[in-house]
Amino acid sequence: MRTAPTPSREETRANATFEALIWSMSRPGRLRDLPERGEAQIIEALIDRECHVFCADPLLMPKVLETGARIAALAGADHVFLGALTDLDGLKSLSTGSDLYPDGGASVVIRARLGEGPRLRLTGPGIETEECVHIGGVPDGFWSLRRDLIQYPIGFDVFFIDGAQVLGLPRSTKVEML
Amino acid sequence: MSVTPQSLKTLSRAWEPMSYGFLDASAKREIRRKMIKAVAVPGCQMPYASREVPMARGWGTGGLQVSLTLIHPNMRIKVIDQGADDSVNAASIRHFLARVSGAPTTLDTLQADLIQSRHRIPEEKLNEAQILVLQVPNPEPLRPVQPNMSIARQMHADADYGRMWLQLYEQIVRSGRVMQGASYPSMVNGRHVMTPSPIPRWDVPKLNMAQHLTILSAGREKRIFAVPPYTRVEPLVFDDVPYKVEEHHDLTCSRSGAKGFFMNEIPQEDGSSAYELSDSGFGVKHIQQSTGDAVTFGKTWYENGEMAE
Repeated sequence: MRTAPTPSREETRANATFEALIWSMSRPGRLRDLPERGEAQIIEALIDRECHVFCADPLLMPKVLETGARIAALAGADHVFLGALTDLDGLKSLSTGSDLYPDGGASVVIRARLGEGPRLRLTGPGIETEECVHIGGVPDGFWSLRRDLIQYPIGFDVFFIDGAQVLGLPRSTKVEML
Repeated sequence: MSVTPQSLKTLSRAWEPMSYGFLDASAKREIRRKMIKAVAVPGCQMPYASREVPMARGWGTGGLQVSLTLIHPNMRIKVIDQGADDSVNAASIRHFLARVSGAPTTLDTLQADLIQSRHRIPEEKLNEAQILVLQVPNPEPLRPVQPNMSIARQMHADADYGRMWLQLYEQIVRSGRVMQGASYPSMVNGRHVMTPSPIPRWDVPKLNMAQHLTILSAGREKRIFAVPPYTRVEPLVFDDVPYKVEEHHDLTCSRSGAKGFFMNEIPQEDGSSAYELSDSGFGVKHIQQSTGDAVTFGKTWYENGEMAE
């Protein structure tokens, strides 16, 4: 008799985390639960020695170092963990890829407060008509900076996380402040 | 900053006879990163490493790697090859997926969580929770007009698709109609032209503003691209030459009696043709219904041979 393989705990968590991430990236503006709270599971699911990581949160750094990823300056990082975003200085140098290789644009994880703060209207791929969300805890000016940095398909993609909730915001989404 | 002290024990993992889902963790992480980018830029081809799997490149290894990354023991999988669940390619991929993951399998589109497909999209509508993985032999729609892939990449960067239109125009001038039968080049999100993999023209409108996520992966060519839900997918057409799907609206399946869906043509000895549903799972349901079994049909994309609004 053949036994069915069983996934390890790490595999199950990484798989479920990724399922939540890809789901939220393909449905911008809609909240989805991650298996656990915080960024550690995202690091486990995505990051390894092939990545250049910028991590602004010192508490998260050991987790990043454990993966063997190279620590990079913001400008050279393909994965960016900003923690709670307090100021926008330097964010201009975020890597956004090129027209030739849009995949060079960074994946950014930001801690935010979902469900409060300014009301935003999202339109674009993954959204049938429009999606209205509240994203709080990011500095004023983030949205205009995002608009300036993204010249589709050049741009960066954001996961906002709040506890165990995640909200994806790919570069293809148009954001309007209401 | 405190770093936990590392030892061999913390750095290594418990012994496993095989990675779950065959692919090792680093291969999965790489595909995950690329899938996120592919969804963020719909229709844009993202390069990836394409690891070895126990199957020859060109036989669905791209789709297989995506499925192996997404799979978990509670994900019900369906695998189809040109619509059929029972062809060699589909049966062996399904067998492999189930064997390395312990995931349940199904032939019913409605019950599947993940559908890996070669060259067809099922006739029944996919819902928001389902993921469609298409195997792609040639991911580059520009290859017939520009064999140099570096130049083709530049053309994608510039959204320089003039030659695609020229190709269609030449077909119309020469033959009176567009001769592109499968892999009909389509504009995704108004920016990137992609090949929808060699699905028939019949299936391309199913991708437009669909509820499900579609991931297209070419293992031999090492490219991955995606169509997120609710994304515009428009076949390239001229204003005065509308897009035409195959004229299968008045064909009847000789085995199940179903009418108005995409059919396989089966040549007969007397020179005529018989037809049967290309979507075999859907055909089986029709036959079961006619023998009195209880079956559930999903809403179909086409109704009476016309794309339903």
